[in-house]
Amino acid sequence: MAGMYTTHMHLPRMVDMKEKVAEFWQEEASLSQPRKHTLQPIVTGTSVLGIKCRDGVVVAADTLGSYGSLARFRDISRLMKVNDSTIIGGFGDYADFQFIMKLLEQQTIDDNVVGDGVYRDAPSIHNWLRCVLYNRRSKMNPLWNTIVVAGRDFAGKPYLGYVDKIGVSFTDKSVATGFGSYIAQPMMRKAMEENPNMSVEEAKRLMERCLKVLFYRDCRSLNRFQIGVVTETESSISDPISAETDWSIGANPSGYE
Amino acid sequence: MAVLVDEGYQTHPTVQHRFFPYAQNGGTVVAVAGEDFSVVGCDTRLSEGYSILSRDVSKVRKMTKSGLLGCVGFHGDVLTLTKMLDAKMKQYKHTHGKDMSCEAMAQMLSSTLYYRRFFPYWVYNMVAGIDNNGKGCVFSYDPVGSYERETYRACGSASAIIQPLLDNQLGYKNQSNANPAPLTRDRVRTMVRDIFAAASERDIYTGDEVEISVIDANGIDTQRFPLRSD
Amino acid sequence: MSILEYNGASIVAMKGKNCVAIAADKRLGIRFQTVSCDFQKIFPMGKKLFIGLPGLATDVQTFANELKFHTNLYNLSESREISPKVFLSMVSNFLYQRRFGPYFIEPVIAGLDPKTDEPFIASTDLIGCPMVTDDFVVAGTCLEQLYGMCETLYKPDMQPDELFECISQSLLNAQDRDAYSGWGGVVYVIEPNKITKRELKARMD
Repeated sequence: MAGMYTTHMHLPRMVDMKEKVAEFWQEEASLSQPRKHTLQPIVTGTSVLGIKCRDGVVVAADTLGSYGSLARFRDISRLMKVNDSTIIGGFGDYADFQFIMKLLEQQTIDDNVVGDGVYRDAPSIHNWLRCVLYNRRSKMNPLWNTIVVAGRDFAGKPYLGYVDKIGVSFTDKSVATGFGSYIAQPMMRKAMEENPNMSVEEAKRLMERCLKVLFYRDCRSLNRFQIGVVTETESSISDPISAETDWSIGANPSGYE
Repeated sequence: MAVLVDEGYQTHPTVQHRFFPYAQNGGTVVAVAGEDFSVVGCDTRLSEGYSILSRDVSKVRKMTKSGLLGCVGFHGDVLTLTKMLDAKMKQYKHTHGKDMSCEAMAQMLSSTLYYRRFFPYWVYNMVAGIDNNGKGCVFSYDPVGSYERETYRACGSASAIIQPLLDNQLGYKNQSNANPAPLTRDRVRTMVRDIFAAASERDIYTGDEVEISVIDANGIDTQRFPLRSD
Repeated sequence: MSILEYNGASIVAMKGKNCVAIAADKRLGIRFQTVSCDFQKIFPMGKKLFIGLPGLATDVQTFANELKFHTNLYNLSESREISPKVFLSMVSNFLYQRRFGPYFIEPVIAGLDPKTDEPFIASTDLIGCPMVTDDFVVAGTCLEQLYGMCETLYKPDMQPDELFECISQSLLNAQDRDAYSGWGGVVYVIEPNKITKRELKARMD
């Protein structure tokens, strides 16, 4: 399956476009087989947050895979280290995200097989993911994810990108998906405005605060999350951690009795 | 006894949510052609629904030394379309050993859009630059490639707000005793800036910053000005 | 397509220094077919009070008659002119009474207070949500275009002649970019001691 998207770098060959086009339409026309399209997400992951700082990029997501309103899988990782330059975080259908991770793993292996030491930096992975997601949406068979790409480019500059299931993509100082775009994004934008030259350590603390607030208000979130950091030299994803919560304020709001 | 079943009425139909492959990401482009220059203005906001995805996304691209392309609409298609165009421009340059002219670029864009007639790129385009005779030129498009050369045009989410104003201020429409003075770069730039300030008052998909480029024989001069960011 | 756009109309009102103006187009159509180029959309409701009614033409006329009846009744029982503020409440209440089967109109009100001559402009939606502003109000099928024109041409404290120029330019340029409205215009400038009605020539296409 992964071969579908990988180029065989060691063996350049001419691609017969006619063949490719025929393949595409054949796939569309063969209605005798069941069609396996994602029409709605099943097991889902909620918000992914990302922040670009002066000496790196920080990305965070909790470890919950929801099945509707059921907290079905409580220990899955929605962050993936692609290589030393890039970490991605996945929002939406977890099965589709696993498929994307598989593609990326295969691609990393293909790159290593060449053995020239060339790797892919964050912008190229971001761009590649956009192509995959846009192609799938164009076949009306989307991969139901929004992906945050955190890393650095070949020059070592921090890079933070966003791409969704229909191929809308952009880079920004801070990004958030899903519920996080309503709750965490305003917090991150405010923090960035007050402290434009944020360090990785400050950003990590900000992430914890954002995820805590999300845990308070997003019913599909969990107080167990991972934080990924990409610096000039390496990328790493933390073990799952929890924020200290205080529910005593829950007694204060009134009018909901 | 036969039971009559009236099948004429319907109970609640099953609502099936279908995947929709487009999004409206907002944004506005304004382009004006002068005698030997042209001006393009575009806001930098990227929205989806009531959310602002980003406050700093440039939607104007430099295609050649003297040609700019502004695109708004569905950002996924914007990216794909511009990537296609970049490849075609490069191919042209390698084949012919020169940059594409604005007229050629305009026709090429039209063909590229029409190629996807039955699954369109949901993008509103505007080409602006200097034509083969050194005159300012603006071409505006619909999403499936019909296009026209014009002297001024607004397209995108605030087009209805801006277009009548351009008719009035640049086309001198409904002004019986006007004596049209030739346009200057500064006047157009100031006007585009004011127009975007007005549009961002009333259109929630236009705001944050406006990027104004002036194209003439000396090249492209780009400036940014702040707009409302709410 | 919305029933509000069936006949087509555009109306704008503006506040000046001790004066107000209200302007409307003159077209009556059935979708894209023009039926009349002299359709009344602005109705006098007092000595210095006007209402513009864009929307479904049948409702425009019914509602205008209903309002005229009730303002006359008010004048008789109270022995004084109705003030624009009170009139707005009346319009709003009438429309909300038909909350679940509304008149398809979006009224624009412009006038001077009968006692103090204070300028007043306001509009409501089709179920009577009132909006009072200090600068301008717009309604009809080319509302967006009108907003664009007014937002740039309007400035506070204009004199009557200046106000007339501003509102006319706003209306004409806006309706020229709308297929549903146009075919001439009419402008009322309301001052404490006089009301000036002017007819505007416009593109007839």
